[in-house]
Amino acid sequence: MSKRDDLISQVRRNLSEAENDVMDNALTGRVDRRGFLVHGSRLGLSLPLLGTLAGAMGMAASKPARAAGPSGGTLRIAMTMPAAAIDPVTIADDGGLMVAIQTGEFLCALNPDYTLLPVLATSWSPNTDGSVWTFKLRSGVKFTNGEPMNADAVVASVERLVNPKNASNALSAFKGVLSPGSSKKIDDLTVAFHLDAPNGNFPYVLSSDNYNMIILPANYTGGFEQTFIGTGPFKLEKYIPKTGCSFVRNDAYWGPKALLDRVEFTFYSDIQPQVLALQGGQVDMIAQLPVASGRAIINNKDFKVISCKSTAHQQVHMNCETGPFRDKRVRQALALSINRKALVKGLFQGHAQVGNDSPFSSAFPSTDLSVPQRDLDLKKARELLEAAGVGGGFSVTLTTEQYLEIPDYAVLIQSFAKKIGIKINLHIESQDAYYGKAAFGQSDWLDSPLGITDYGSRGVPNVFLNAPFVSAGTWNAAHFKNPTYDGLVADYVKALDLSGQRAVSGKIETLLLDETPVIFGYFYDFLYATSKNVSGLPATADRPYLSQVSITQS
Amino acid sequence: MRLYRAILYRLMLAGITLILLSVIVFAGCQILPGDVGRAILGPLADARAVAVLNHQLGVDQPLLVQYWHWVSGMVRGDMGMSYTYRAPVAPFIGHALVNSLKLAGIAFVMVVPLGILGGVVAALKHGTWIDRTIVIAGLSATVVPEFVSGIVLIMVFSIWLHVFPLTASAPRNANGLTQVYYLLMPAVPLFMIIFGYIARMARAGMIEALAADYTRTAVLKGLSYRQVIWRHVLRNALLPTITVIATQSGYLIGGLVVVETLFNYHGIGSLIFSAAHAKDFPMLEAGILVIGIVYVGANLIADLLYSALNPRISFGSGRE
Repeated sequence: MSKRDDLISQVRRNLSEAENDVMDNALTGRVDRRGFLVHGSRLGLSLPLLGTLAGAMGMAASKPARAAGPSGGTLRIAMTMPAAAIDPVTIADDGGLMVAIQTGEFLCALNPDYTLLPVLATSWSPNTDGSVWTFKLRSGVKFTNGEPMNADAVVASVERLVNPKNASNALSAFKGVLSPGSSKKIDDLTVAFHLDAPNGNFPYVLSSDNYNMIILPANYTGGFEQTFIGTGPFKLEKYIPKTGCSFVRNDAYWGPKALLDRVEFTFYSDIQPQVLALQGGQVDMIAQLPVASGRAIINNKDFKVISCKSTAHQQVHMNCETGPFRDKRVRQALALSINRKALVKGLFQGHAQVGNDSPFSSAFPSTDLSVPQRDLDLKKARELLEAAGVGGGFSVTLTTEQYLEIPDYAVLIQSFAKKIGIKINLHIESQDAYYGKAAFGQSDWLDSPLGITDYGSRGVPNVFLNAPFVSAGTWNAAHFKNPTYDGLVADYVKALDLSGQRAVSGKIETLLLDETPVIFGYFYDFLYATSKNVSGLPATADRPYLSQVSITQS
Repeated sequence: MRLYRAILYRLMLAGITLILLSVIVFAGCQILPGDVGRAILGPLADARAVAVLNHQLGVDQPLLVQYWHWVSGMVRGDMGMSYTYRAPVAPFIGHALVNSLKLAGIAFVMVVPLGILGGVVAALKHGTWIDRTIVIAGLSATVVPEFVSGIVLIMVFSIWLHVFPLTASAPRNANGLTQVYYLLMPAVPLFMIIFGYIARMARAGMIEALAADYTRTAVLKGLSYRQVIWRHVLRNALLPTITVIATQSGYLIGGLVVVETLFNYHGIGSLIFSAAHAKDFPMLEAGILVIGIVYVGANLIADLLYSALNPRISFGSGRE
């Protein structure tokens, strides 16, 4: 006890006010080990230090470290064909991302539990109000072409993405966060980012959560596919567009060397041949297995399914300004008619978590879990419809996209709504038609009275809280305009510590439950599938880090 | 001389057809919903990034400028740059076309002889159980979708028995026999689709030819059965079959999206399909035009074969 207190006191003297707040929360039991690690890592406290402190405070690690698997061999992976040229600046799809991260690295990366793992940056810290974040870079790291990974490379990589002239796909992530010219080199291994506004979650914007944020050499001008230049554990062996690519171990890697000799990706334009290829032994792993298409694998003991908790979800928006859903009682009624447990079981065989009609998934440590869970309540739903003057029922068209399980979800919502007198007509179209020009007045997504839209997984809810919900949000399909909400989001974004964020998140969750502009029925898991002889794959959604994966000959 | 003029006439018609095809394809691309830049950057990309990308690709230029730029390039043999892959289109088209020709060739070699044989046997045994078996089997095979027959074949021969590979792409540097071995599985669903057409057409032609006056005359002249069949009946019976085979060439080259997807084979059908989905218009337009060329070429060859088999047809000449 005495030794523990000494260690804790010694460390605290060197911490900022925000960092000490993390310690206070941990010591008083207001956060568990995971929350402590999450928020501490966000503030740049190194994981080894955090681990030591957590141990000293009695937070034992939940699992002992796994022994490394055997070395050698080739891992054969089936994956969705990249939708376009593979360039970190423009990547927009899982296919391109999954191969780019075999060689490319980020300043920090999302862990399975939503902590941030230092990678090319060793630590990061905010100034007093969180308007300037300073990152310390790892020394001695080189790109595969021999160029050093330093402050110049980092500044150039960020500037490349925030510059509107570069057709960068990360512009929407940096919008309102970081502007061109705001990334400053302090010295060769230190970079300061001067934000547009204080932001407590800024490190996530530079992490693997923002998949365009792969650090490239300062002099990069394009042509990524030629070399797949990066600092990662693998380097390119061969890349054939539309066919596949292979990587070999990068023996000059700065960290633990990859166990595999080689990784071989085969591109597929559909999931079914991937499933057949795994069943037939032609591949050892499927990089993303949708539940609906993968039941033959999920229910088969001959294969491993790694279920990664993720914050990917489908937003069921209802127009709050015009049409039948302008009265929030009607929106609440529809939300109350939905059997979320049945959705999780029926659509995902349990590989999902129920949503509570806000972006705050249970996976986010900043989520206030004390907010009551909305559940099926047909009686109350009917009462609300009566109170809103539509007790006799009404008809509405649900417009959505053909993607993953969404059409099935739409059919289920249709049947749920029928029980309370709402007749839903389904209009399911291609993703292109659904998104249209992605601008109000030119998009079925943004103009429909009722629709379902897919959102990918993120490490923090910031993106979900803003564009889809704030009054001026460009993705505000619900046409939800609520100044109180806008203010709360601004407060949430500014909050530097977990307790501050959680206090605001509770209010946001409560407000959104009351207003119900969007139904979040579930957050579904990301699934990898492998043959039995593959081990060591981390449960990180949408990011197959293969460095510590091993394969034994079957 | 007359033959040369007839061929030139056919080539001129082919050229006009291809020009019309290019206009139709180009117009069709513009009608597709959505935005090229957004298709590449994703639906949630920043509007500024989308606008910049559209400008880089040139899709914000007037349609006539785009069309002229594309056509003038195509005439010079330059198929343009892929929007999505930022690379020349020609290598993709060439590679995919070679793949499709290989698969089509295997299927062709299997289905044409067997289809004709089936039809001939059915006709010679007209009215018997052999005839009915061939006709019904052919019809049934034709209506089974490729993805059903393909999956059944994969489950049985690749996953259960392990005698054939479940993907159609042979390892790199594989020799000819190995490539054929890998292509047998995807060729079978195609065989099933087309066998019925060819067999039925050959059967109908044979029945008609067997009932024709010239056949009766040949028999009355005392020719042997074999001579009657080979020199008089088959020669005439197969004319419509050649037309069917030529028509099916378009399907064999460019219509195999389902089989290509199922067997993960990178042919021109799936290339065109994915290009349409991604709004990669240079790739899409070039691919369809190439298929058009193949189709027109196949029909030209069919016309020549027609002439060889029946001198009276002879490209419209009135002389006997």
